[in-house]
Amino acid sequence: MRIVHYLNQFFGGIGSEEEANSPLQEADGAVGPGRLLEQTIGDGATVVKTLICGDNHAVEHQDELVAAVVERVREARPDLFVAGPCFDAGRYGMAAGALCSAVRSELGIPAVTAMHEENPGVDLYRESLYIVDSGRNAAGMKQVVQRMAGLARKLVADEPIGTPREEGYLTRGLIRDRFVDRSSAERLVDMVLAKVQGQPFDTEMPITSFEPVAKPRGVDDISKAKVMLITDGGLVPKGNPDNIEGMAATRWGAYDISQADDLAGDDYEISHGGYDPRFVQADPDRLVPLDALRQLEKEGVVGKVHDEFLSTSGLSNPLSNTRRLGREMAEKVKQEGIDAVILTST
Amino acid sequence: MNLTLAYHPVETLRFGAATRLDGTTVEINADELRTLLLEDEALADVALEHVAPGEDCRAGPVFDIIEPRAKAAGDGPDFPGILGPPLTAGKGTTHVLSGMAVTVLDEHAAGGSRGSIGRVLEMTGPAAEGSCYSPLHHLVVVPRLAPGKDGATAQRAKRVAGLKTAVYLAQASTAHAPAESRTFEPVDPGPPGREGLPRVAYVGQIFSRQRRAELDEPVLYGHNTTGMLPVLLHPDEWLDGAVVTSYYTSMGGAETYLYQNHPIITELYRRHRAGELNFVGTVASIAGSDNTDRDRNCRTAASLVKWALNADAAVLTKYGGGVPHADLAETARLLESEGIRTSVMVSDVSRDRRVESALLFNFPEVDAIVYGGGNDTRWEVPPAGRVIAATPAIGELLAGARELGAMNVAGVTNQQGASRLRAVVY
Repeated sequence: MRIVHYLNQFFGGIGSEEEANSPLQEADGAVGPGRLLEQTIGDGATVVKTLICGDNHAVEHQDELVAAVVERVREARPDLFVAGPCFDAGRYGMAAGALCSAVRSELGIPAVTAMHEENPGVDLYRESLYIVDSGRNAAGMKQVVQRMAGLARKLVADEPIGTPREEGYLTRGLIRDRFVDRSSAERLVDMVLAKVQGQPFDTEMPITSFEPVAKPRGVDDISKAKVMLITDGGLVPKGNPDNIEGMAATRWGAYDISQADDLAGDDYEISHGGYDPRFVQADPDRLVPLDALRQLEKEGVVGKVHDEFLSTSGLSNPLSNTRRLGREMAEKVKQEGIDAVILTST
Repeated sequence: MNLTLAYHPVETLRFGAATRLDGTTVEINADELRTLLLEDEALADVALEHVAPGEDCRAGPVFDIIEPRAKAAGDGPDFPGILGPPLTAGKGTTHVLSGMAVTVLDEHAAGGSRGSIGRVLEMTGPAAEGSCYSPLHHLVVVPRLAPGKDGATAQRAKRVAGLKTAVYLAQASTAHAPAESRTFEPVDPGPPGREGLPRVAYVGQIFSRQRRAELDEPVLYGHNTTGMLPVLLHPDEWLDGAVVTSYYTSMGGAETYLYQNHPIITELYRRHRAGELNFVGTVASIAGSDNTDRDRNCRTAASLVKWALNADAAVLTKYGGGVPHADLAETARLLESEGIRTSVMVSDVSRDRRVESALLFNFPEVDAIVYGGGNDTRWEVPPAGRVIAATPAIGELLAGARELGAMNVAGVTNQQGASRLRAVVY
């Protein structure tokens, strides 16, 4: 196995913080942790080239560094690219993540790095890379290199990679299917028995917590405000002109309501497979409350109802997709100079 | 209660002059069965075919799969509320033709996310290996509807045809001594001698109000569940025909066969017998159509578990699609707030295979989650040597080499606890 190894100035033996600005340099063969890596992987594994760069230089000239490293890796034609271990060194982790990610995606060469869970490089690159959990400091070097070696062998041989716990890498936040011996019923009962008896249990899915959305400043004067209606209940004009999918929608639409005081079921349909749509079909104002809002507009309670409402279908949609839809809609809201939005769901 | 299941293992199905059980062979008088099924004027005709495990055969779309069972004389009606009066199920002896199933096909796949082939019965090859139905012998029932019969009438006809066939076949066994029989242990909220064991309940959704139940759609004792609040059921009622699946299932599916052989109830019984827990009973619930409906249902279910069953722990399952996750999690949250520990089983909703898209709830106390997979398991299956389908068009779709996703193969993913496919976080 031919390996190219990336190290920072400290592990590359150039010096500590005072050498953090040193530019990319290369050495033939293994340096520092690279020797341990060769021994641990065994079976003739050789670090053919070690690339070393100062931490400051790496983050301040990241694009140049990535381009240069990709070029040198391409020339060296290794089976594997390794960066670090970086432990809790943030600049080192950022560089290692960027380099592993680029080598993988641009050259198709497998890459392994190692960092502490709180290294900022983890947040940026955990999904796309196998990042071995290194702990905070180099005291655990031997064990960390062992885990990196284990992953390296499997990645190079294109063997299936086990779970984070089995292999010692930081969870990438991804899911894959696997057939197991125990049925879901057996696992369900196993889990509740452990839980009720105060024993440890492993949930099959961690709960994701989300950053709270900061409460925006209130509308200064609603009687002068331009108000827009947005729904994810899938209300679209008859014929669904934008072909908004009834589940996992990739699109949203803007529909004219400037001439309407009230929405009629005959003019609309519902592209959403996740709720009983009869009541909305009978009177779409139940989902998109134009009738009530027009009344408030006439009474001068709100300034103006915007001429279009926005609609998509909020069913079985991955967050990666809904984030984009949300951003696009927010862009539209800004463009139209909207002061307030009423969001309705099902 | 104390249901006894009398098992008659089946190793061969064949058509013949009389419907009878001969050792491990079930001989079926197809004309007699057809005549019985055609009593329903919604059916113009019905085709019957039998399939053996390992046969190069694909059938679909599957409407339901049912285990042939018949009550011993005097022990109560079969499928009460549907084929007979709605008397309590789970009493006396029920004869079972084990190792076989009645599989009813649909004329067209239910629309939506599972594509035009719906769920298929795959009898051999890689996809079959993951299914709990491929090791069984199947009598495939293909109802052909009378002109003008569609919608609710057609669905009801398919439901009744499947159940009648299951009972008709098993009646051939009731005069025979079973190869094996099994009487379920007493389960009740206060059994003596089990002090110190965790008291565990099962809470299972049997319907989701994401769609309106048809007026005559039988789900619980023939009732369509509209307006129902969660109810206590003895586990043997689930096993003995009180509950059948609704007309549509999604996200993993549910079949009547797996109510009759409910994986969670049978697992709780096994642990009960082994002295690992005290199985105190079950609650059947539904997923609501709105927040008010949800609050009412979840609170009623949680109250039954606490006050009627006095449970220490509960396992919960869902029905249907995405929204029922909310009902499941809210019920679990309420139970946890009463000091009742829970684990929940959810469907795979992560289409982008990211953990962040995997759950439709995030209550910190609802932290014991069994996660079925399905969204990235698919097989390239070869052309099928034999195809059974209700229409030539679907037959053609099924016949060729094609891709089959886990959720398109009956018995691979499942919401009743039968699946061995799970999601693994990496």
